[in-house]
Amino acid sequence: MTVDLAHYLTVSGLLFGVGISIALAKRNAIAVLMGIELMLNAVNLSFLSFSRFSGAFAIKDNPLDGHVFVVFVLTVAAAEAAVALALSVLIYRRRETVDLDRINLLRW
Amino acid sequence: MILGTVPEAVVWAIYLAPVASFVVIAALSRTARFQGTSEYAGRITIAAIGIAWLASLWALDSAIGNDGESLAFAPHTWATLFDLNVTVGVHLDGLSGIMVFVVTSVSLLVQIYSVGYMEGDRGVSRYFASMSLFTAAMLGLVLSSSLLQLFVHWELVGLASYLLIGFWFDRPPAAAAAKKAFIVTRFGDFAFLLAVVLIWSKTGLLDIAAINDLAVAGGIGAAVLTGFTLGLFSGAIGKSAQFPLHIWLPDAMEGPTPVSALIHAATMVVAGVYLIARFFPSFEAAPAQILDLVAYTGGFTALLAASLGIVQTDIKRVLAYSTISQIGYMVMALGVFGFVAAIFHLFTHAFFKALLFLGAGSVNHATGTFDMRRMGGLRGYMPITYWTFVIASLSLAGVFPLAGFWSKDEILLDAWKYEKPLFVVGALVAGMTALYMFRAIFMTFWGEYQGGEGSDDEHAEVHGEPHESPRSMALPLLILAVPAVIAGFFNLGGGFSHLVEGALPDELRHGPPDIYGGIVAVSLVMAFGGIGAAAAIYHAGRPSAADVRAKLGPLPRVVEAKYYLDFIAETLIVRWILNGVIQRAAQLVDTYIIDFAVDQFAESVRRAGDAMRRVEAGYVQGYTSLFLAGVVIAVVVIAVLGTGVLER
Repeated sequence: MTVDLAHYLTVSGLLFGVGISIALAKRNAIAVLMGIELMLNAVNLSFLSFSRFSGAFAIKDNPLDGHVFVVFVLTVAAAEAAVALALSVLIYRRRETVDLDRINLLRW
Repeated sequence: MILGTVPEAVVWAIYLAPVASFVVIAALSRTARFQGTSEYAGRITIAAIGIAWLASLWALDSAIGNDGESLAFAPHTWATLFDLNVTVGVHLDGLSGIMVFVVTSVSLLVQIYSVGYMEGDRGVSRYFASMSLFTAAMLGLVLSSSLLQLFVHWELVGLASYLLIGFWFDRPPAAAAAKKAFIVTRFGDFAFLLAVVLIWSKTGLLDIAAINDLAVAGGIGAAVLTGFTLGLFSGAIGKSAQFPLHIWLPDAMEGPTPVSALIHAATMVVAGVYLIARFFPSFEAAPAQILDLVAYTGGFTALLAASLGIVQTDIKRVLAYSTISQIGYMVMALGVFGFVAAIFHLFTHAFFKALLFLGAGSVNHATGTFDMRRMGGLRGYMPITYWTFVIASLSLAGVFPLAGFWSKDEILLDAWKYEKPLFVVGALVAGMTALYMFRAIFMTFWGEYQGGEGSDDEHAEVHGEPHESPRSMALPLLILAVPAVIAGFFNLGGGFSHLVEGALPDELRHGPPDIYGGIVAVSLVMAFGGIGAAAAIYHAGRPSAADVRAKLGPLPRVVEAKYYLDFIAETLIVRWILNGVIQRAAQLVDTYIIDFAVDQFAESVRRAGDAMRRVEAGYVQGYTSLFLAGVVIAVVVIAVLGTGVLER
């Protein structure tokens, strides 16, 4: 059995589904961040797959576009993780919790 | 004509001087320098109305020089809105010339009198500001060249009268009287407004002279002219306190007495007579029934009010009913083609009625009451007030050769010529007038002093012996006594007729008045009969008032109850029909239809909000879930319908 685009996309979709489920369902900020990382990586996987199988879509000119995107996404994800974790640590110091439902000072 | 033709600016000054006085006093009364002081307000008002008086003399002089015909002052455009061109201008002819002279003269003397009368009252600056506005509004009304301009000032007169009648607004009767005056006259004003709209929509004219010219030329259909004149007449009925809208005037006595003098003599109530006179050519061109209606309304009012005047115990109310009665006389005169007679009576009446009111105020100043039963014997204490009051009463009663005799005689003559039943009414009213005036004199000035003081004191001070009033009050009495005697001579040679008739087109003029010996005799017999009856009953006591009362059966009780007219107006119409039936119906409609619809709408919005509130809970994760659901739905839709749906 050859592993073709559909398999990659299925894995990517499942990964995204798991990620968004975690991001939406968890109350813990760290867990939500982890879910977001999963979603980002699911997207990365799709990018790479499309790049790898670009011949199937007759996109000939720039097969490396997907790779470039992935590099950017990784960079942004790293930066986002750093900032978000720093915020979480600071909030934890102050409030002794990272429960998103209780971080509601700015809520209406 | 002594001076040159009056420039338009001077005519405007007649109107603008009191306006300026009103504005200046209103502005100054709140400044630190003048707060708590009051002398300045009186001085400014007297100065402004003095200027207006001088300017009105010049205007009157020019009107005389022009044979009473209209002086051509072009109107100025004030506002243009599509095809509605609103102009303002001054219209000076014999009629308005006489009117501005009367208004400024009486107002000037009333202001001088007020300085003494209102001394020590807390609201003096408010008083003089309102008085300035009142005078200005009346002068603006008289000088208006456009119907709309006239209507605006007509309403301003109403507003100023409201402010002045309710001057002592902390007294509930005064506040109620002010409201009553404003609302009752409003009934008439509404019809007046409809008349303005009607004539404008049918002819496109608002200029008074143009409307009259068109009406005389037959350019206005009978139906439109009937509606128009009826509307104007309704306005006049309200303002001039004619039956059935006369009920506000006696209550208006709650205002300060100088205000009553001004309302009754020169402003407000004569506005209605002036309105009919101003549009007299239109009234003549209208179907004949209109003038008949005017005549009989006036005659009926004159008779009704005169009978009511006989039973009053409050001296100001006697005068109030006397005014209604005399205004009824004027309206009746207009109805029997007595244009000149009506204006002439307005002219003479202004002086002696102002004098009577100022005299009544002087009496109140001395005794602290308006109740004639608590007066008596005052002629010894206050000779100036007594003699001027007697002169004014003789003039009002129509005794030869005082002013009232001449004007009343002209009215009776016109009534005799055109409408015999009204002549009988007029003669009867003349006798009743003499009776109630001399009843008032005998009760107030003769007999023993009854102690004065009552609940209706207009001054806070304690009264001891009655005393003559201060000079600023006595002086206007003396000055007014002069025209009360001589004002009637102005029409002996037909000069007054010539002047006033200049306002009419040629074919409506009658020329100088005739004098019929028979009518003079009737009028004098009635006058002296009334005086004699008053002397017999209220001075000699043979027969005594109680005997006369007993002889008349139930009649006195009906009259004392004001023919139940106040009952009909207040209980039947206001309380039962308006407050009862109409208000109840309106309330039902309001509660069960309008409120119900509004409430249901509000409730549905509230429910929708309640439902949607749950979505906007402030949880980012909740929003994201909805967003995800939206994406899933979109994807499913695209998957089912194909990518074509994106290309719309």
